[in-house]
Amino acid sequence: MELTPEQQAVLDGSRGPYMAQCMRWLVEWGRAMGARRLVRVDNTHCLLPVPNKVADGASAETIRRYVDNLRAAAREPVAPGCYATLHTAFVTLDGLDVPENDPAQAKLQRELGELAARSGFIPTYTCAPYLVGNVPLKGEICAWTESSAVVYANSILGARTTRHGTESALAASLTGWTPEFGVLLDENRRGTLRVEVSAELRNPTDWGALGYFTGRIAGLGIPVFNGLRRPSQDEAKQLCAALATSGGVTMCHIAGITPEAPTLEAAFHGRVPEEFVTFSEKELRETYASLRSFASGEVDSVILGCPHASIREIARIAALLDGRRVAPGIRLWVDTARITKGGADAMGYTAVIERAGGRLLCDTCPTNIRIPARRIVTDGFKQAHYARGMTGAEVIVAPTEACIRAAVAGRWPGG
Amino acid sequence: MAEAFTLPARCVVSGRAAGQALVADATLSFWGEVDPGSGKVISAGHPLEGESLGGKVLVIRSTRGSSATPLVLQLARLEGNAPAALVNVEVDSLAVLGCIVNGIPMVTVEAEDAFGRIRTGDYVEVDAEAGLVRIRPSQP
Repeated sequence: MELTPEQQAVLDGSRGPYMAQCMRWLVEWGRAMGARRLVRVDNTHCLLPVPNKVADGASAETIRRYVDNLRAAAREPVAPGCYATLHTAFVTLDGLDVPENDPAQAKLQRELGELAARSGFIPTYTCAPYLVGNVPLKGEICAWTESSAVVYANSILGARTTRHGTESALAASLTGWTPEFGVLLDENRRGTLRVEVSAELRNPTDWGALGYFTGRIAGLGIPVFNGLRRPSQDEAKQLCAALATSGGVTMCHIAGITPEAPTLEAAFHGRVPEEFVTFSEKELRETYASLRSFASGEVDSVILGCPHASIREIARIAALLDGRRVAPGIRLWVDTARITKGGADAMGYTAVIERAGGRLLCDTCPTNIRIPARRIVTDGFKQAHYARGMTGAEVIVAPTEACIRAAVAGRWPGG
Repeated sequence: MAEAFTLPARCVVSGRAAGQALVADATLSFWGEVDPGSGKVISAGHPLEGESLGGKVLVIRSTRGSSATPLVLQLARLEGNAPAALVNVEVDSLAVLGCIVNGIPMVTVEAEDAFGRIRTGDYVEVDAEAGLVRIRPSQP
């Protein structure tokens, strides 16, 4: 890989040992992935989470060393002009009446966030930065963590980011450089799998089903959807999140809709493959069924807002809950960014949801803090997939309205 | 004991390491499927469920990348539970990053070599720069 004199100097230690290490990570990662150079990046989305339950059982010494590493990154100034937001934490900064949200770790996270904020990071603590102001333009080079947000940025916005990990996104924020490989290059944004959609997608969760179905088949490829109407922002969010859950998808195209797919031909950079996969009503039904681990009966948790709820979703949830009451003992959580909750507080949505017995959870999500749920109903395929795997809970995925009905009834009615 | 042999490998992340092989023709996500506190695979129904990765040479098709892959690997390493090396068939960019950051060598080999000639329990030496993997079979 060719480095500019400036990049080489940082690698050689001109800006101190931590920055040299950042440059080494980027250079070695780029070299392994076939990059020929580092390119300018001024939009990043970074992980900076204290471990909390993710490192359950780890020694105090491990936690200390791990947090020290995060602190070392948070102390360095963000590169001039770089818009650097933060991904979800593994705790909420609010007091939360479950033992899984360790107050000592929440305090550590708050200190880390304050340190990072002084360095120029914006502690948004969200998995959906595009809902809270970090909305890159078409062609903008980014370095984002969070695979669902990466798919959204590449596909829906036409921005360009590979799937970043903890250290690469931090290093990109501090140096202002990222290795050029994968979907940063035109030739790697070509569709690889044609999906003909005949099912009618009625709500955002149906779009999640399409994503979950397709991710399994697409693997690391780039699916191209044909036959779809224009999705709402919330529908696009569910599609992108589910694609990145069941598969390793970095981007997709929707023919006639997304920025780089004015036509089916354009999505494939010319030649449209004859073979295709069909997503009909049958596949839609089967995809819901594939993630369903119980048929009917009592539930203990109804989880909405995966990825983090938009203000419109919160408004709709408030309208559905207005004048109703969540069944006793049911945890109805709407996960969202603190910025969005600030709006919801001011607009009165939070009060309606809390009056009904629900709550808004900020900075994190129930899976990240490993809430002790046994039976979850959720409107997000990603939430269901990870909750089942990581907390061992039984899950049902259903559209938002049906989730709210389950919260009020305290049970899933079946069907 | 069967005779030792070597397989050609492509260097992804440089370094040398050795350990017992843990082999499965499967993918694995460090985020959500591996507990860094114990180093064990916790994903229900996964072919490696219950196996500890600590000090092992992990021979799988590929990892499934999550942004948190390097973070989980770092926590596992600090606890002494990280794999010694990764021998994969396909390259997941986030595993590459995790290996670079945590000093874990990584190579790729052909699928038929990975799953046809290496068995769980074999002693495997990975020399990424030299581009080879040496196997001492644990049984004839």
